Amino acid sequence: MMPAAARAPTERAKTGIAILDQRLQGGFPRGCTLLLFSDKPTEKRIFGENFAVQGARSGERSLYVDFFRAPQLARGELKRFGPVDASKLIIVDATSSQLLLPSPEKYHIDDISNLDTIREAIIAAMRAEKPERIVIDSMEFLMDRFPKEDVLRLWRELIEAAHATGAIICFLFINWTLAEQDLVQIRSMVEFVVEFQSSLRGGIVRNSMRLSQMGADGVKTNWIPYAFKDLIGLTVYFPRILVTGPFNAGKSTIVRALSEKSVSIDRMGTTVAFDYGNVNVTGIEAEIFGTPGQERFEFIFKIFAREVSGVLLVIDATRPEELPRAKQMLDLVGPRIPYVVLANKSDLPGALAAMDIHRRMDLPEDVPVIATVATEDRGVRDALLILAEMIIGVR
Amino acid sequence: MEERFPTNYSVLLAGPPGVGKFEYLLARIREDLRLGEKVAFVTLDMSPTEIRTRAKALHVDLSAHEGKSLVFVDCYSATSSDRPEPPTGKKTFLVSSFSNLEGISMAMSKAGQELGTPVRIYFYTISTLFLHNSPQAIAKFFQIVTSRSKTNLGFILYAVHEGVHEPLTMNLLRSLVDGVIEMRFTDSMEREMRIHHMRGYTVDAAWRRFSQLPEAVVNL
Repeated sequence: MMPAAARAPTERAKTGIAILDQRLQGGFPRGCTLLLFSDKPTEKRIFGENFAVQGARSGERSLYVDFFRAPQLARGELKRFGPVDASKLIIVDATSSQLLLPSPEKYHIDDISNLDTIREAIIAAMRAEKPERIVIDSMEFLMDRFPKEDVLRLWRELIEAAHATGAIICFLFINWTLAEQDLVQIRSMVEFVVEFQSSLRGGIVRNSMRLSQMGADGVKTNWIPYAFKDLIGLTVYFPRILVTGPFNAGKSTIVRALSEKSVSIDRMGTTVAFDYGNVNVTGIEAEIFGTPGQERFEFIFKIFAREVSGVLLVIDATRPEELPRAKQMLDLVGPRIPYVVLANKSDLPGALAAMDIHRRMDLPEDVPVIATVATEDRGVRDALLILAEMIIGVR
Repeated sequence: MEERFPTNYSVLLAGPPGVGKFEYLLARIREDLRLGEKVAFVTLDMSPTEIRTRAKALHVDLSAHEGKSLVFVDCYSATSSDRPEPPTGKKTFLVSSFSNLEGISMAMSKAGQELGTPVRIYFYTISTLFLHNSPQAIAKFFQIVTSRSKTNLGFILYAVHEGVHEPLTMNLLRSLVDGVIEMRFTDSMEREMRIHHMRGYTVDAAWRRFSQLPEAVVNL
């Protein structure tokens, strides 16, 4: 059943993550069920919060059931996303009663030791407010306190109640205690699973997520790295995109063309260490590193080639003799790293067409060659977007 | 064995309530800070304010290091009835609830990121988690946090209260760390401690008397 037209500003529920919404044909379909899952601790709560906030921002109503945070704390933490109409963000308070404090919220669960009370309070709030989005944070709280079968029954009842009003319901769940067959059962109850991973590498927390739509021909993405940005929310974030290619192909110009801020370490106009730029193009953030093109700086190249998300290979379209060298540079990056070839200086006389370059370099069919003019910022952003889509597996 | 715990290592400190685990932690922290190490204090049993005050009484000045080489992961304040502490201008990682095991783990990683690794983590106490979570969930949490701390963060020491957990639970916790230090009261209420074992090191496991800070700090 679809909600009344007036209550659904858009056909689908946007995540606010442009590249994901595009792949989902505008967002998640109304009335579907999402599972935000991980096996180990991650920052998946940001996704749940982001989903609720995006709804409230686009004029929908979001119901957030919080078993962990006092509502004062939850509302405070949600402010990191920037201004949101608090009346569109309805909290079901499950913690004040645990602390024997009066709840400041309209909806609250008064006896956290009773699953029936929990069910009634959540469903009453759903019926009264008819939210477009519902976030349950988190199911492991219940799974750790009540018999498994009872929790699974409640889980199904919440899904049914959400379906009845056309709301999208989103469950956060980290698995502490369940066996694989139980997880199979849980996955079978939902339409979309978003898995999360967090790792600490080099002292920095890196987050990634992977979306799969249940069913044989559903949407599936690769691991998408993401970060939280104050006042904005969840953004796709590539910690390392490499811009490489032969000497004097225009790599530094490309880094500059893409970047909000860029730094070049150069000597008499040619890059000797690296170029660095921070990119923000339509909801995608990336740190891009330009390597020097000369062979004697290959050791720098090898340092940057580690943990690379993707590569922009820049070639001078007017210099076909450099193509073998360009191909050789790809080998340094290693297999399975997505790359896009930028046929730069394509406005100059004698520039090879993209098709010719593809053929001469004997590239695999799915590797795009994009004609660019870095000095005029032509084609460069397209190339980055295409690379981003290849990395996250939505192209 | 050498006097300091190695990096990429995990230790459980077990002893009955009141025997002096907290003071021992403070002594280790003081030594770490003196040597220029970075320290994350994960507190479940006291507010950071209370820890600062108690440390001060024992002549350990934490405030000089806070925000630079020391941060708190505060799992206590959000669930105390007087609500989160007012901001003191010091970076604290607030965890919403004792039940939020995922939140505790991520706050510890964030603290490591903030300070820069390697970091020495002191967890006081793991016992409190048992009032709010199932032993199975804690076991998995403990195993993941220990492994993350050892491989990515540095060193971790957990304090646990002896005599309040099932023997099976204690054995499980002991089996998941590299080293175990025990503290006890003698019949005449003297305090004794020993190093039960330290993986990779030969240790003298004899019981030794120790007295409290600030008069004496027992070395390992």
